[in-house]
Amino acid sequence: MKKLLVVVSVLLILVSLSAFVAPAVAADTPYIAMISKGFQHKFWQTVQAGAQAAAEKYGVKITFDGPPSESDISVQVDMLNAAMANNPAALCLAALDTESVTEQLNTCKEKGIPVIGFDSGVPNAPEGSIISTASTDNEAAGALAADQMAGIEKVMAAITGATKDAPIVLSVISQDATSASITGRTTGFVNRMYEICNEKQPGLVAVTGHDKWKKASESGDVAIEILVSIAASTSVTDCQTAAQAVIQRGPVGIFCTNSGSVDGMLSATADGSDLDREKGRYKDLVVIGFDSGATLLNAVRNQWFHGAVTQDPYMIGFYAVELAVKTLNGEKVDPIVDTGCQYYTYQNMDDPAIAALLYE
Amino acid sequence: MEKNKKFNFTKILAPIVLVLLYLFFSIFGRNFFSDDYLINILDGSYYIGFMAIGVTFVIITGGIDLSLGTTMMCAALLGGAAFNSWHWPMIWCLLLVVFVATAIGFLNGVLVAYLNLPPFIATLGTQMMGMGFGAILTRVQTMRYPTFGTPEGWFKNFFYKTTAGFPVGIFWLFGFFLIALILLSKTKFGRYTFAIGSNREAARLSGIKINPWLTGVYTFCGFCCGLAGIFYAAVYTSIIPSTGNGMELLGIAGVVIGGTSMAGGTGTLVGTLIGVYIMSVLKQGLMSMGLQSHWQTFFTGVVVIGAVLLDQYRLKQGAKVKK
Repeated sequence: MKKLLVVVSVLLILVSLSAFVAPAVAADTPYIAMISKGFQHKFWQTVQAGAQAAAEKYGVKITFDGPPSESDISVQVDMLNAAMANNPAALCLAALDTESVTEQLNTCKEKGIPVIGFDSGVPNAPEGSIISTASTDNEAAGALAADQMAGIEKVMAAITGATKDAPIVLSVISQDATSASITGRTTGFVNRMYEICNEKQPGLVAVTGHDKWKKASESGDVAIEILVSIAASTSVTDCQTAAQAVIQRGPVGIFCTNSGSVDGMLSATADGSDLDREKGRYKDLVVIGFDSGATLLNAVRNQWFHGAVTQDPYMIGFYAVELAVKTLNGEKVDPIVDTGCQYYTYQNMDDPAIAALLYE
Repeated sequence: MEKNKKFNFTKILAPIVLVLLYLFFSIFGRNFFSDDYLINILDGSYYIGFMAIGVTFVIITGGIDLSLGTTMMCAALLGGAAFNSWHWPMIWCLLLVVFVATAIGFLNGVLVAYLNLPPFIATLGTQMMGMGFGAILTRVQTMRYPTFGTPEGWFKNFFYKTTAGFPVGIFWLFGFFLIALILLSKTKFGRYTFAIGSNREAARLSGIKINPWLTGVYTFCGFCCGLAGIFYAAVYTSIIPSTGNGMELLGIAGVVIGGTSMAGGTGTLVGTLIGVYIMSVLKQGLMSMGLQSHWQTFFTGVVVIGAVLLDQYRLKQGAKVKK
């Protein structure tokens, strides 16, 4: 009997502890609920910092939450339902999957809760349910990576020198084929790379690896293979497996489309040291990453990675809240606000303009 | 008389915790005491409820089924593939979901009963097989079920919510719960489930053919996972390949919180359902307080440990009474 009481009281005490960490909600400040796609990458924490800054500037209250991993659709849907039940003034949403939140978006529209998309936003959302989206133009970001890769002398030489008897492989590794931001980058890279290669080697370029992007070469012979590799799941271990498999094909260049696949690449190459330009096992392999984070920055600084494309996560968060506030004030906002992207290498990563976009 | 009272107290503890939690969040949560949140609590627990009902039977036999989550997702993926790629009518897709899950359950049963594999190992294996199988057959593509208002979207109105927003899923869950309740308490199937769990050897000696009945229990659990798959698809629409591992623990946690002993031989379905709703109230409640998801995971863990401590305490009490 005593034991029981102890157990119950411990439970209740623990639960009530949460009352102290719960943010107090003042009734008069507008409340904006933000639901991201995750928390596990530094990226989201920088988005949250930007959102917090905007919240302070405009005197609104925000909560920021996201599922533990980017496969957790059900968790995100539950979060969105809870956020809506909290009667927010506005919602900011980076949807993992549009179809799974369609009903919720329609409900928001009926209830008059404005929804702002951020990061990948909510692609193909029902007409009129999303007021505005603060995001990177992901296809442009992918194309930028392709341009930069082809701009490297060694890669260009390989592209022009490839024959159908000695074909080369260029690869892109993505953690999934579901989210709009990642498929956008993949598509942007594949299309631009195909364009560049097909110009140098007409009819001899094929895209392989995944049905979504698959394209046979026009002549039937292949000198350049653009290999799209999608990890089995978004976990680092599966991204690592995908990276290892790609490396075994001996590609000339690899583009990793987000933090997840960058991490997979790094763990497949002994934290990048296998890519060391002088004594690494894969010293001739050109790798381009995406976003930042301590390990990627280190890899770029050591020239293990040639460089990386960075978005502006801070501004994504800041703009999302700003757009929500503007909407609440009845101002008209653009349907899409591009938050920009940049390519950085070891040479320019310390320029103030670039360094401001990078995070540890 | 004194002992009787104690026994009753442990029995009603879980419902008391449920009510206390609900009251607690109603006071401290933002807008928690509302239809919106009540519906959220129901919606978010359909699939867990079905899994938990199924695995309650398995746990009563002294076994465990770790393949719940991936069986559900694998079946839902195949149903989605049937809908998206093979263009089957929705009704056949839903039947396929149930069929696939039941087949995996049957496989579990054969492995455990006839081939004598420890349930933990057998279902760990089928967990991974199911996860891989779904991904292979769908070529690692996310499968999407029809949304509300589309021609085949009727299944959502039928299983999940009416157009007016009434959560009809609750009738299905409770209806099925009643059937399972009768199955467990009023039929041979239920009696043998308990008999196998409390003493397998004694059950065998008393003339029960263990193997077919045990296979039946796992098959039934698979069937429940199939139903869970339908409701998961109805509520969440999109099924991602290679997911579902970890979800079995939600179902098992519900059973454990509800007071079913992992040692087998005892257990109640009412407890299971309450356990499922304790988790759901906890999850929604913490969200209504604006706490990030890590807190929910943390507190669910706390509740599970609390429940197991209770389980041990009950066992001890049971032993005392036997003396």
